[in-house]
Amino acid sequence: MGVLNLLKPPDNWRSPVSLILGILFGLAVYILIVSNSLSYLSDNPKTCINCHIMKPQLATWQHSSHRETAVCNDCHVPHDNIINKYFFKAKDGLRHATIFTLKREPQVIFIKEDGKSVVQDNCIRCHSRENEVVNTRIEYADWVSNNGKLCWECHNEVPHGSVNSLSAVSYFLEDNSNIAPNWIKRKLIKQ
Amino acid sequence: MSKRKSWINWTLFLLTAVVVFLVAILGSLIIERKTQAQFAYKPSVVINELEPRNEVWGKNYPRQYQSYIQTADTTFRSKYNGNTMIDMLSEDPRLVVLWAGYGFSKDYNQGRGHYYAIDDIYNTLRTGAPFDPTEGPMPSTCWTCKSPDVPRLMNEIGIKEFYSGKWAGKGEEIHNAIGCADCHNPESMALQISRPALLEAFERQGKNIEEVSHQEMRSLVCAQCHVEYYFNKDIYEGVSYLTLPWDGGLAVEDMEKYYDEMQFSDWTHTLSRAPMLKAQHPGYEVYLTGVHADRNVSCADCHMPYRSEGGQKFTDHKIQSPLNNVHNSCQICHREEYSDLLEDVFDRQDKIIQNRDKLEELLVRAHVEAKLAWDLGASEKQMENILQDIRHAQWRWDYAAASHGGSFHSPVEISRVISTGIVIVQEGRIKLTRVLSDLGYIDTVPYPDIVTKAKAQKFIGLDADKLNKEKIEFLKIIVPQWKQKAEEREAGWEVISYQ
Repeated sequence: MGVLNLLKPPDNWRSPVSLILGILFGLAVYILIVSNSLSYLSDNPKTCINCHIMKPQLATWQHSSHRETAVCNDCHVPHDNIINKYFFKAKDGLRHATIFTLKREPQVIFIKEDGKSVVQDNCIRCHSRENEVVNTRIEYADWVSNNGKLCWECHNEVPHGSVNSLSAVSYFLEDNSNIAPNWIKRKLIKQ
Repeated sequence: MSKRKSWINWTLFLLTAVVVFLVAILGSLIIERKTQAQFAYKPSVVINELEPRNEVWGKNYPRQYQSYIQTADTTFRSKYNGNTMIDMLSEDPRLVVLWAGYGFSKDYNQGRGHYYAIDDIYNTLRTGAPFDPTEGPMPSTCWTCKSPDVPRLMNEIGIKEFYSGKWAGKGEEIHNAIGCADCHNPESMALQISRPALLEAFERQGKNIEEVSHQEMRSLVCAQCHVEYYFNKDIYEGVSYLTLPWDGGLAVEDMEKYYDEMQFSDWTHTLSRAPMLKAQHPGYEVYLTGVHADRNVSCADCHMPYRSEGGQKFTDHKIQSPLNNVHNSCQICHREEYSDLLEDVFDRQDKIIQNRDKLEELLVRAHVEAKLAWDLGASEKQMENILQDIRHAQWRWDYAAASHGGSFHSPVEISRVISTGIVIVQEGRIKLTRVLSDLGYIDTVPYPDIVTKAKAQKFIGLDADKLNKEKIEFLKIIVPQWKQKAEEREAGWEVISYQ
C-alpha cells in the first residue's frame, strides 16, 4: 500500500487537493460533453460528422442506396463479436480524433488496410449469395495474395461516389428543412 | 502521514496543475475545431475597381492570398519542368540555332511562379537594357500578361495606347505581379476576363463569352494568357496589337493557315532565311484536345484544387504543377497509388520527347543545309518551298514544345503534331538535297558543334556577354527608378477599412 499512501494527501492538504481533484473531474466531464463522447457508443451516422471531415462521406452515403439498409458502422466496424466491434471503433476513433485535433488531416482521405479488411468482410456479411455466377466470397486475405478483387474495385462508386476530397460534396448536406419559411407554415390552413 | 516531506506534496500539486492545464487546452481545441466551420469571411477593407495591389485583396481573403504568395516557391523540379528556374538554352543548346535571329536565342528559362512575373521580365535578356523609354527591342505589349496594373492602365489610357510604344515606356506603370485583379471581380469575386485579346477572339469567332459556364471560366481566365498569340501590326500603324490567331479554329493546322494567309512571320531566320513562326504557349488550345477537357475538368481543378481548412472550402491559389500536389489533385478522382500516377505522366512525357528531340535535330540540320544552299548561290525560287517547309515544321515543333505540359494534357494530339512536323521537315530536306546537288554539293552537310549554349550562340553570331553586361547596368540603374516611381504612385492610393 506504499504507493497509495504516497498519493494520499496529508491532513492539512485535504481541502486544496479536493478542490483540484474537483476541477479536474469537472473538466473531464466538460470534455466528455463538448466532444459528444457518448454519441460514439451509438450507431447513428450523424456521429461521424461530429467533426466536419466526414461530411462528404455522409453526404454521398445519404444519396446512395445503402442508406436504406446500412449505416456507417454496418460497413466500417467489424461485426464478428461485440468486443472486437468496440475495440476497433475505439482504435479507429481515437486515431481520427487525434489527427483532427492536431489539424493533421489530409485533403484526400484513403481507407487504411485494416479498414479495407473490415469493409470487405461486411460486404460479404450481407451479400454472401448475390447470384450463382459471381463469387462474392473473396476475402481481404485473398486480395492481399492477389487472388481476386475487392468488391469496390469494380463497384467503385458504391456508396461514396467517385470524387473524393474534403471539399468535394459536403454542401449536399445543407439543411433543407426550412425550404418553406415559418411564416408560410403558420399561415397554411391545417387540412 | 502529515510528517511527509513537503517536496512530495508540492510535486503532486504541480503535476495535478499541469494535467488540469493540458486538459483545459484540449477542451479549448475541441471547441475551436467545432466552431471554426461556422465563421465565414469578414471583409476588412474596401477593394476598389481595378485595384492592382494583391496585398490589399489579401486583407479580405487571407487563405487565398497566403496560398497565392506560395507561388514564390522555387524548390520543386519535376522530371522536365517544375517551378525552379532552368536555363533551357543550356539544357538544350539546339534551341539557340532554331531561334537564330530571334530574342529567344538570347535567353530562355523555364518560368517560375506568378509571384515572379515582374522580376523575370526585368531579368530576361529578351527585353534588353533600354535606358530610354523609347528604346529597346520589345514593344509595350510584352507587359500585357505580367500584372494587374495592365487592366488598370488600359482603363486609364486606352487599349491601343497601351499596346503603343516600347516596353521601357511603361516600366514605371507596371509594378504588381500577376494576381487577384487579373481574374476576379472586386465586388463579387466572380471570375472575369481582364484582357481584351480573348474577348476579341471570341467576338471574331461569333461566340458569346457571356454565355460560358462557371466551369469553363475556371479555364478561360487562364486562357487570357496561356494561349498562342501574335502581335498584329496591321490594325493600327506602328502598334503591336496583341491578337489570338483563332479565327479559323484552334488546331495547329488552323492557326498555321491563318498565319500563312496573312503572310505573317515573327522573324526571318538568320541561317536559313525562312519566314518563321514562334509558337508562344498554346497551353489552352492543347488542353482542349485532351481527355480531361473532354470530361469537363478545368485548369483550376488540377492546378488550383479546392481545399478545406476548418470546414471552410476555398481554392488553393498556389498555382503549380499538379505533380507537386498529386495527393490533393489527381487523387481526388484517381484512387491509384501516388507512384503509379507519377509513372503514367512520366511515361507519356518520356515517349513524346523522343520524337520531339528527333524533330529538333532535323530542324537544326534543315537550317544549316539551307544556309549552305544560299551560300552556294541558290535562287529565291529554288528555296521558296523549302523555307515554307521549315516554317511549318518548326511551327509544329514549337507548338508541342512551348505548350508546357502538352504531353500530359493531350498526348495523342501532341504526338500527332510532332509526327506531322517530322514528315514536313524531311520533305523539305529531300528538296534541299536536290537543290544542293544541282549546285554541285553531294556530301552530307556536317552537323554543327553546338554542344553548349556558348558554342551554339557563337555559331549563330550572338554576343551574349555584351547583352549580359548591359542587362546588369539596366537592373542596377533603371529598374530601381521604375520601382520608386510605382511605389510613390501607390502610396497615394488610400485603403479604406471597414470598422
